[in-house]
Amino acid sequence: MTIGIGGAGGKLALKLDPSATIVNVSENEMAKLPAERRILAVVHAAQGQLRGSRKNPQIGRQAFQSIREELLSLCRGNLVFSSTGGGTGNGISSRVLEEIAKLEDVALADRTMFAFVLPYAKLEAAEYVVNTTQFLQGPVSEAIDSGTTGNVVFFSNRVKFEQKLGEDEYNSMLLSTLKNFLAVPRKNDELKLLDGHIDYEDFALFRGKPYFNHFTAFEYDRRSNFEHQLEKNLNPLLLPPENPIEALFLLEVPEDGDPREFYDILEYFAELKVTPVYSVVQNPKRKKMFVTVALLYLRKPTELVEDFNRISEEHTKAKVRKSLEQYVQLPKLEVNLESEVKRAGRQQGSSESDILVILRRLGKL
Amino acid sequence: MKDLFNEQVENLAASHFLVLYWAAQAEDRKTRYNITNLFDDLKAAAITRTKQSAVAVIESLAALRFVTVKGEGNRRNLYITPYGARALERLVLLNRFQSRKSVFLEGTRP
Repeated sequence: MTIGIGGAGGKLALKLDPSATIVNVSENEMAKLPAERRILAVVHAAQGQLRGSRKNPQIGRQAFQSIREELLSLCRGNLVFSSTGGGTGNGISSRVLEEIAKLEDVALADRTMFAFVLPYAKLEAAEYVVNTTQFLQGPVSEAIDSGTTGNVVFFSNRVKFEQKLGEDEYNSMLLSTLKNFLAVPRKNDELKLLDGHIDYEDFALFRGKPYFNHFTAFEYDRRSNFEHQLEKNLNPLLLPPENPIEALFLLEVPEDGDPREFYDILEYFAELKVTPVYSVVQNPKRKKMFVTVALLYLRKPTELVEDFNRISEEHTKAKVRKSLEQYVQLPKLEVNLESEVKRAGRQQGSSESDILVILRRLGKL
Repeated sequence: MKDLFNEQVENLAASHFLVLYWAAQAEDRKTRYNITNLFDDLKAAAITRTKQSAVAVIESLAALRFVTVKGEGNRRNLYITPYGARALERLVLLNRFQSRKSVFLEGTRP
């Protein structure tokens, strides 16, 4: 089952899985989505349930209390979508991650995989950037450290803004890469197996590991180096990965292809001291070899949020500058030369200024 | 009149400033400051080497009524007038000249 928290999370979850459950604090927002199962998180506010979290994660956090038990049991072993910039997705997901981090141990089958959509810091609202920084440094870091969560996937809105894509188009792109990754055990099951294997249990084991997941897929050309091909074909919709700790790959070979060509890929991972789980299958629909790779990596949260912090700082500076220009009128400073000289003289304690005191004392002034 | 006063003050030289300055200091210390003392101080400050120049400075200040020269015994002593005090105040506020120490009043060479 798939769960979508907040506006963006709900849209993605439903697009991937029409039977997904969506969670929101706003009835209005929820009514826009054709979900079968909806959970309304209750906010104790005078405005009622018609307004959202207004980019304020505290509202999402408070609303989580009303759905705590229901949501935590739903998340168990499932996939959760959320954005990190807004109030509902960030606030409720933060609490889910914090609750999961508190658990002693979670069976692999019960671990939750999270897919978070990060804002494009250069063009999106400054609040989104600040919320994301706090989210990554706090709950995400805590949950990864606890080891009780499943894979965490970071989609970035960068491509959407740089290529000026519509939201629906971008969501389709994003989900098609995710679907390709999630289809690994099914392909392993349905296609003719040539070497290795990744069954549903192996895949669940991989998905249940508490690391960041970067997955990608591309046509593999044996004549050129795998490392270069991988670097060139990293998933542009995800945050770039670090050195992998664990890896998985599925190689689809056309009917006339040589199934032994996966050894080159194994050698690449062996150099990185990673032993991947892999599967080589024959796919008659393919004209060329096609590889799906997933890399599990761990990044320190400080490194992860460095860019966000830098951009957030720029936003703040620009805001301060703007408000100064708009609201602060600097008074025209009129300098009285004589009084300034007197002041300077007093500060220096110079004999020239002393002489004036003397003249006054003598009654000459 | 005020303009005239300002113009007079603005045309004073460093030597005039020092005469007014030292005369005021001397009066504060209840010391008589005479033409010879002034000549020695101006020589020490490397402003003039002749007594005639020192006398010319004093005469011009006396003509402007900025100082009064009184013959007391066999000495001609200098006293700053209220106009001289105002002139000195203005010169100080304009920060036009830098004061120097009087060898006669301070007892040491500048």
